[in-house]
Amino acid sequence: MEARFPGHRLLPYILIFPSIAVIIVFLVVPFVQAVQQSFYRTSPFGTTTLFVGLDNYAQLFSTPEYVRSLLTSVGFAALVIVGGLAASLGIAVLVTRRIRGVGFYQVAFIWTYALSPAVAGIIWALLFDPAVGLGTYVLYRITGYRINMLVEGVPALLIAAAAAAWNMLGYNICFYIAGLQNVPREFEEAARVDGAGPWRTFWRITFPMLSPTTAFLLFVNMIYAFFQVFGLIDIMTQGGPGGATEILVYKLYRDGFIRLRVNFASAQSVVLFLMVAAMALFQLRVATRRAVYSR
Amino acid sequence: MSRKTLYKVGLHATLLLILIAVAFPLYFTFVMGTLTHQEAYAFPPKLVPGNQFFANVTEAWHRVNLGRLMANSALVAVAVAVGKIVLSVLAAFAFTHFHFRGRILLFPLSMITQMLPLPVRIVPAYGLMASFGWLNTYYALIIPYLASTTGLLLFRQFFLTVPDELSDAARVDGAGPLRYLWNVLIPLSKTNIAALFVIEFVYMWNEYLWPLIVTTAPQMRVAQIGLKMMITSERTAAEWNIIMAGTILIMLPPLVVLIVMRRQFAQGIAMQSTK
Amino acid sequence: MKRVVVVVVLAVLVGVGLAQGKTTVEFWHAMSGSRLKVLEKIVADFNAAHPDIEVRPVFTGTYEETLTKFIAAYRTGTAPHFVQVYEVGTQTMIDSNAIIPVYQIPGMLGETWDWAQYVRPILLYYSVGDNLWSFPFNSSTSILYYNKDHFRQAGLDPNKPPTTWDEVYEYGKRLIEAGVVTNVLSFGWPDWQFEQQLAIHNYLYADNGNGRAGLATKVTWPDPFSVKVFTTWTRLAREGIFLYGGPEYNANSAFTSGKISMLFQSTSSLDSIIKTANFEVGTSFLPRFSDEPRGNSVVGGGSLWVRKGQSTAELRAVWEFFKYLSQPDVDIYWHKGTGYFPATNAALKQLMDEGWFAQSPNHLTAFLQILSGRQDTAASIGVRLGPFVEIRDYIRSALEKALAGTLSPEAALAEAAAKANRALQEYRSLVK
Repeated sequence: MEARFPGHRLLPYILIFPSIAVIIVFLVVPFVQAVQQSFYRTSPFGTTTLFVGLDNYAQLFSTPEYVRSLLTSVGFAALVIVGGLAASLGIAVLVTRRIRGVGFYQVAFIWTYALSPAVAGIIWALLFDPAVGLGTYVLYRITGYRINMLVEGVPALLIAAAAAAWNMLGYNICFYIAGLQNVPREFEEAARVDGAGPWRTFWRITFPMLSPTTAFLLFVNMIYAFFQVFGLIDIMTQGGPGGATEILVYKLYRDGFIRLRVNFASAQSVVLFLMVAAMALFQLRVATRRAVYSR
Repeated sequence: MSRKTLYKVGLHATLLLILIAVAFPLYFTFVMGTLTHQEAYAFPPKLVPGNQFFANVTEAWHRVNLGRLMANSALVAVAVAVGKIVLSVLAAFAFTHFHFRGRILLFPLSMITQMLPLPVRIVPAYGLMASFGWLNTYYALIIPYLASTTGLLLFRQFFLTVPDELSDAARVDGAGPLRYLWNVLIPLSKTNIAALFVIEFVYMWNEYLWPLIVTTAPQMRVAQIGLKMMITSERTAAEWNIIMAGTILIMLPPLVVLIVMRRQFAQGIAMQSTK
Repeated sequence: MKRVVVVVVLAVLVGVGLAQGKTTVEFWHAMSGSRLKVLEKIVADFNAAHPDIEVRPVFTGTYEETLTKFIAAYRTGTAPHFVQVYEVGTQTMIDSNAIIPVYQIPGMLGETWDWAQYVRPILLYYSVGDNLWSFPFNSSTSILYYNKDHFRQAGLDPNKPPTTWDEVYEYGKRLIEAGVVTNVLSFGWPDWQFEQQLAIHNYLYADNGNGRAGLATKVTWPDPFSVKVFTTWTRLAREGIFLYGGPEYNANSAFTSGKISMLFQSTSSLDSIIKTANFEVGTSFLPRFSDEPRGNSVVGGGSLWVRKGQSTAELRAVWEFFKYLSQPDVDIYWHKGTGYFPATNAALKQLMDEGWFAQSPNHLTAFLQILSGRQDTAASIGVRLGPFVEIRDYIRSALEKALAGTLSPEAALAEAAAKANRALQEYRSLVK
């Protein structure tokens, strides 16, 4: 592509300056400081600062809490992603079954996207409140088991994951509907003519063709389940009971801002960065491959 | 009834059932917001709305000063959405209409913003706000958010599709680049601007962690933090009827924006998914 | 337009003129809801009575947020003149090198002050050795709240609340069997209730005299007594008597809505509980183990810390405000509006003389409890640890695990102790 406005040498720099300034001052500089701080240990008021080398990192991986928090995060993300994407895909397939009212259903499902994780959290905290929750009651009537997410870890994690998947439903359905509408009908019809049943057609033809959408949603949901659910966790369980829902970002917040262990928190930031970078590079690879395909 | 009709009816019935299941938590939220304190504590829970909705809303409104919180949220969400649109239009314009060395920055910039979400820099970022004296100010709630890769890529992609003839014609007419941007490109980008506005408004209204740490004064809190304040304020905790009445108010603005501008939003999604 | 400018300029000039000779001091605090109004009224009255001083109160969020923000502000030179810090942050403040211990302030201003006028358990809690480091402000302790109507329905004497854990068990059974409730007892601040149980039986929580004689190096648990506490709670939970209610004030609603019959909670909830409950609320001492020694319930809440590096005029302004808070009338107003202890003995006497406790006996419970206990052992005065927030997290987590049955009481405490000891060790490496 050629320059459409040659002769303006300074102007483009002026135009990108605000964006670059924001990125450098508020993103890059603090991150570099986080890396630096992760090698030190400071008393809360900064009266003493010790260089501790990799000790903060060593502590991360030698204390059971962090490893547990890591596993909790991964488990939570897996539940949200697998459960959420499967449900959304199923609903999107039904919606695009050549019936009328696709537009209606699109709007009818999209609204969960407008709810914040904190709102989703508060709604599901009510639903499964041990004393007054409707979910608690229904479950109790069916199974005789009185669920108490304030005490029991596994139910708390499951309920939080359900709330998160519910929260993302609208967004995922929207993308899957858009993706399904882009799948050319001819392929499916050709498969059907060849005698493949609808189930087989879906898995052999439709699902592979949706893989760019799935990859994109995978990344978005991963970021959601790792970071954006902070509000949901803070409202619903505050990491409890017994640390059962203390995902990485929540632990980072508590260590950095409540327990006043800023350097330990910075080390956690750096570990998180490595994970995000890996995810972003993975997504980039899929995206570039997709670009090649679509040309 | 033919098999086909039967199939369609079945399909619609299934979809409606799913829809009801998905919407049910919201309905329960609403019912809870209409009950008295005693009714709210019935077990089995009540499923029919009561008549306390306005009383509860008023109580929630006063208890955590919801008016102020929602005004803050609205101000911040609009400012961030507009600011992001302006900054990303300018940058996308530079990256698509000029030949300059800085162009190699496009890729690194978009990667950096993706790789540095708030949690990986949160502790020093908080320190930075403290040293700027920005804690408990709108600056802290707005300015760090202004860089947007989503917007940059969205506008860049769109500007690339605008035919060269338009800029050639503008140049022949003696219009400078900024005038061309203002008079031609921006009017053409209306849909994209609207789509980005919805996405960023909803996003910013729903932000939680950063507002939680950079604001502490009640008059600087935002609506999402109001949820937390309702749960813990007054130290009697969990008055679900009042909390839910407040929750309904807090979730309303992004819901309205999304539903009113759903068409633009859907187009934005279509753009993103084919990026 | 011009006229507006003139008016504005004049107003600014007048404002500047008035402000001269006036010392402004900033005060960060964590008082929300109804107690915020009480506090603001006190400050406003003070400012009205002292034309040369302006105390500017700023609500800075929860206790945790207030402390985090104070630290950030101190490190960037924008900290307020004095700040309210919760009791858990006491050791952090002592080691901060950022404050002036209050006992030094009268001397610095050429005055003397009688510190013995403050209620002794509160005075002891915030003292290092014999010297008071922070100014007593909002002190509370934990008491038993119970639903007298429920007691009547179950055929129990509403004026005989349980005094021992055996009785808690017995009463709990009765209340459940009579069909009054399905769960009987819950706690606010479970981590703090654990501290209370150790203290009221005169058991230490950490070494070096609960961290009061020197920085603590280890916690004392799991020892037979702490295991006994956990085991008792776990057994009550298994019988359905005890219902874990989550951290802080989450359990209050279960009590005020009549889902449970008894609650351990801070005295600072007294006014809001009485207001919200539509049944007769009784209060009493925390239940104890009859075969264990006596200690005392410990003080919680917050106190006021004075930042160092302020001018004499500013320090004097802060000090004037503190003296104002100690006036019996102000102290009494604070107590009646919030349920916190009045900090001075004079206020206590005046409340008694005017018949306040006869009129509102529930306000007396906490006093009787705290004044009838021992005040001569470290165990009964209270715990002081650097990484206290963190350690409380571990205790809460241990309790949750023991209640859920994932770990035995002893194993849960041992796991928490290992983490707590690591935290204490790390803290000591930074503060020496």
